[in-house]
Amino acid sequence: MMRGRKGIQYAATGIRGFDEITGGGLPAGRITVVLGSAGGGKTIFGLQTLVTGARDFGEPGVFVAFEESVDQVFENTASFLWGIDRLKDKSIAVVDANLPQSVVQGGEFDLLGLLAVLGQKVKTVGAKRVVLDGLDVLLANLGDPVLARREVFRLREWLQDSAMTAIITAKASAADVHLSPEYDFLQFMADCVVKMQHRVVGGTAERFIRVAKCRGGPHSANEFPFTIGNAGIEVGAGAATEIIHPASAARISAGVERLDAMLGGGYHRGSSTLITGSPGTAKTTLAAAFASAASHRKERTLFISFDEAPALIVRNMGSVGIALGPHVESGVLRMHSLRSRAASPEAHVAHIRELLREHRSRNLVVDPISAVGPDAEKSVAQRAAIEILDLAKSQSITGVYTSLLGNNAALTEDTPIGISTIADTWIHVSYLNQGGERNRALTIIKSRGTEHSSQVRELVLSKTGVTLADVYSAGGEVLMGTLRWEREDRERRKRHTAKRELDLRQREAALALAETQARTQTALSAQAVQEAVIERLDAEREESDEQVASQHLELRQRRGADDLRVARRRITRGLSR
Amino acid sequence: MSDARSGSGKERTLRLRVYVAGESPNSVTALRHLRALLTAYPSLQVDLEIVDVLKHPELGVRDRVLVTPMTIKLAPRPERRISGTLKDADALVAVLGLAEVRRE
Repeated sequence: MMRGRKGIQYAATGIRGFDEITGGGLPAGRITVVLGSAGGGKTIFGLQTLVTGARDFGEPGVFVAFEESVDQVFENTASFLWGIDRLKDKSIAVVDANLPQSVVQGGEFDLLGLLAVLGQKVKTVGAKRVVLDGLDVLLANLGDPVLARREVFRLREWLQDSAMTAIITAKASAADVHLSPEYDFLQFMADCVVKMQHRVVGGTAERFIRVAKCRGGPHSANEFPFTIGNAGIEVGAGAATEIIHPASAARISAGVERLDAMLGGGYHRGSSTLITGSPGTAKTTLAAAFASAASHRKERTLFISFDEAPALIVRNMGSVGIALGPHVESGVLRMHSLRSRAASPEAHVAHIRELLREHRSRNLVVDPISAVGPDAEKSVAQRAAIEILDLAKSQSITGVYTSLLGNNAALTEDTPIGISTIADTWIHVSYLNQGGERNRALTIIKSRGTEHSSQVRELVLSKTGVTLADVYSAGGEVLMGTLRWEREDRERRKRHTAKRELDLRQREAALALAETQARTQTALSAQAVQEAVIERLDAEREESDEQVASQHLELRQRRGADDLRVARRRITRGLSR
Repeated sequence: MSDARSGSGKERTLRLRVYVAGESPNSVTALRHLRALLTAYPSLQVDLEIVDVLKHPELGVRDRVLVTPMTIKLAPRPERRISGTLKDADALVAVLGLAEVRRE
C-alpha cells in the first residue's frame, strides 16, 4: 500500500502503466468497479491485482468467480507468468460462486450465505484484497432488479466494514461500456470506475482502458491503449507524464568509422537514433552495422525486423561484409521477425518489451519502426513508436530505428511516424541522380548533445563493408559516384604528375650537389698532392746541402784541417731544422 | 426417480439440509413454508438438518452455499437444490420429488 497525495492510500495493481494513471493504483480499502465488454480483460485485471497484492505487498486476497468455474479461471490465466500456482490456497483463496444451473429458484433470497462463505475465506488467508468477478451474472440470477439492488448494497456495506480493497467486475455493452440501466447503480456505489474496451481500429483489434471515476485523487481520465501479454495487462506508457531518462556521455560505435567521426565519436549510449530514407537507401545496412559492432563488443543486442525473415537479413548483410551470423549463433545478437499486420501496435510494443526483458538486451534495432502500425490510426501508430523509444531509453538501451521516408518528401519534422522530434539523432539517407546513376547521400540532420558534421557524405556499400566518402561540391554541385570518382582520379593524376616533377628536380639538385662535392674533393686532393710535392722538394734540397757539407768535411779531414768541431755543429743545426 | 416410492424404507427417508442466515426474514419464511408442506405428508420420513451459515460458514464453503436460504435434498438421490423463501409450493414439491407421493 502506498500513500498518495492528500493522504489517500493506494493499493498497487502491479499492472504496468495503470498505477501511473491514478497516481498509485486503486483506492485502498475501497470498492473499484471494472466494467468491460466480453473478453475485455476484466478477469485478468482482477486476478493480476490480487496476485500483485499477495506476491509483492503481503496482501493476501480472495477471488470469487460468479461467471466461470474457478478451474476455468485458472486455466485461462495459466499462461501468465505470475507464479499464481504457488500462491493459490496459501495467500490467494478462491470461491467458486457460479450458481449451478440445477438450482431452482423458489422465491426471494439474499446474499448472506455468500457473505458468510466469503468471510470464512477472508479469515483463512487474512485477505486484504477481494475480487468479485462477474457480479452481473449473480445479479441476473437474483432476477428482480429491486432485490438485486438491495443485495448489492448489502454487499457494499459488508465490503466497507471489512476495509478490504475490492474489485467488482461486470460485463457491460461493448459499444460504450455501459451497464444495462437496471444495474447502473453499480457504478455509483463504487469509489473508482475502470472501463475496459475492445474495439477494431483500422482493421486491427485494439484494447483501451480508462479510469472514468476515482474518488479522492487526481487521475487521468484519458483512454489508454493496453495489451495482454505473458505478464498480463500492460497499459501504454503514454500515461507517463514525466520523462526521466538517464543521460549518458559515453559513446558507442555506429559501426561505420566515418560515421562515428561525423557524430563526434558515435552514438550516445542509451540514445535513440532514427535513420530515414526511401526504399533501398541502405537504412537496414546502417542499422545492421550498428548491431554488428555492438555484438562485437559482446553487448547483447535485439534486432527486430518487420515482415522480413532474420535469415534473409543475415544473408543480405553478408553481401556487404557485415557478418551477423556468428553473433546470432553465440546468442549475443537476437534477431526476431514480426508481422506488421498480425497484431495491434500495442501488442507489438508489448512483444518487443518482453523480448528485451527476456534477452536482457543493451541495444535495440527496429527495422523499420514505421511498420509498427501500418494500418492503424496515425495517432495510435505514432504513440506505439514513441513508446518503443521511451521503453528503450528508460532502460538505457541504445536504439537505432529505421523509418521509410519518401525521397521527395520534404525533410520536415513530420516524418511518417512523427518520432523524429523525440529521437536524439536523425540520419537521413537519400538518392541523388547524377550522370545516369543513383548514389546514396548521407546527412546527419540532427544529433542532440553532439558536435556533428553537417556535411553530406556518400554512402558506399562494398563487399568489405560500409564506408562513407567525401563528396565534391563544386559551384554548388555535389558530386558522387562515377562523377566523384572521375574528379578524384583527375585530381589524383594531377597530384601524381606534380610529384614526379618534383622528384626529378630533387634528383637534379642532388646530382649538382654531388658534382660540387666531388669537385671540392678533387681540389682538396690536388692541394694535398702539391703540398706533399713541395715538402718533398724541400727535404731533398736540405739533404743535398748536408751531403755537400759532409763532403767538405771529409775533404778537410783528409787534408788535416783543425776546425772540425765548428763544421760539425753547423751540420747538426741544419739537419734538425 | 421411482426410488422414493418403491425403494426400501431407508431410501424412502427424505434427507434435507436447509441453510439459513440467522433469523433473516427470508430464512425464517423458508423454514415456515417447508414445515407447512411437510406436514401435508405424514407418511413421509423426514430427516431435516438446519445449518446457520453465519455460525458455520465452513459448512457453507463445503456445500458452496452462496445465497440464503438454500434447501438441499440429499436423499433420495439425485441431489437437488432450491433457493429462496419456498413460497412456490409446486416448485418445492417438484424438487423434493413428492409429486407422486400420497398427500393427505
